[in-house]
Amino acid sequence: MISQLTERAARLVERQQWLNKPGYKLEHGLAFAFGLAGARARPLQNLLQGVWLGHPLHPVLTDLPLGAWTAALVLDGVDVVAPRPQGFRQAAQVAVGLGVVGAAGAAVTGLADWQHTHDDARRLGMAHGALNTAALALYGLSWLDRHRGRHGRARLAGTVGYGLTMASSQLGGRLVFRHRVGVDHADSRLDPRTFVPVLAESELNEDSPTLVECAGVPVVLVRHEGRISALGGDCPHLGAPMGESWLYKGELVCPWHGSRFDLQSGAAMTGPATAPLTCFQSRVRHGQIEIRRTPPAEVTTRGRTLIAAETTR
Amino acid sequence: MKADQVLIEHHDVLRGLLKKLGATTDEQGATRRKLLDELVRELGVHVRIEDELFYPAVQEVTPLLAISQAEHRAIDDQLAVVLRTDTAGPDFLVELEMLKETLDHHAGEEERVMFPQSHALGEEALEELGIKMKARQEHLRHSTVTQLLRAAKREVLRHA
Repeated sequence: MISQLTERAARLVERQQWLNKPGYKLEHGLAFAFGLAGARARPLQNLLQGVWLGHPLHPVLTDLPLGAWTAALVLDGVDVVAPRPQGFRQAAQVAVGLGVVGAAGAAVTGLADWQHTHDDARRLGMAHGALNTAALALYGLSWLDRHRGRHGRARLAGTVGYGLTMASSQLGGRLVFRHRVGVDHADSRLDPRTFVPVLAESELNEDSPTLVECAGVPVVLVRHEGRISALGGDCPHLGAPMGESWLYKGELVCPWHGSRFDLQSGAAMTGPATAPLTCFQSRVRHGQIEIRRTPPAEVTTRGRTLIAAETTR
Repeated sequence: MKADQVLIEHHDVLRGLLKKLGATTDEQGATRRKLLDELVRELGVHVRIEDELFYPAVQEVTPLLAISQAEHRAIDDQLAVVLRTDTAGPDFLVELEMLKETLDHHAGEEERVMFPQSHALGEEALEELGIKMKARQEHLRHSTVTQLLRAAKREVLRHA
């Protein structure tokens, strides 16, 4: 069965502990490279990680080479079986070139996401990146050969590259569907549905995030500039415990990778997180802070917005 | 000295430096830069003895390694932010506080969770590892090549 074969191949890659060292070096190289961008390092990474989009940018760009290279393969195939006038060859070259540009974008955005992965996903991501880099190189050669009129060799390079990129896509899929890289890790339960007291108001200090548990759901309470916010206890990026977070310039900071979240809407303001933190409505009654999960009907495009009137005292 | 003791002692050195930096004023630009250079050196040494010696030794007895390494990255990134922040400006102490929070979280988690887990290695192994780490610490502090590389990286990030 195909599933057993791919599972075994992927597990084999994931077990390669020797990849840890080059992975470590690569990440530190990336950190330094981003550091060279100075104050633009963070906005640049937000752009690449897709913070502005609300989900990773990488899978948007991977569609470009996959689509373009598939079109090139079909055009080449038709031209081989029944040679056509010049048009097909030109079209195939444009498609290969478009794919190369898209693949370069996918590589950069992929690296920006990969640098904050762990363990098995990290090693698998390295294999995914290496295969795609090889495919990109082959398609680069393929484009040059087409440019020089060497169509036979160009088609061979393209076909091998297509095989590599298909294998690599399988690993990319596994990164998302199995390792859940890039998907929302925030708690999706809708409890508590009615207001429940969780903490005496006097126990919540200014700028000191406090973890409470309510109906089994971890919730972080924050009082900032007198205003109380209640946010989910799991970072949407990889599920880090937000109960250990702290405040920086009025935003909640994830203790693992430093993603920052807006206190009112839960929106990710800097990556690697792209999805919002879960939001709860809060109010104070009889000296107790009460919270309930923001009803889905009030979910906005940028997250699960609090009702301002109820959170302000 | 046992390996975890070496690291706790070094965490205290780092916390001490951050405390000294936090007590400076905007007029003490030169003092801030001098303390920062010291912090860059000690943080660099610390991350290396952990990443190269301690973490590989404890990888079988703790699940926290990937997270700890991610936190090292977060510390490095914030150190770069502090380095390029004007030492006489209003943002300096804000960025320094962020660095302090990031480091406090990392060191605290290691001391509370990872170091007790490392005791599974046994006294003798920890003692032996501690001696190795101490020696490496001294070497990294004073090696000319390491010092030059560190200073070059620091100045590049400072002017980025």
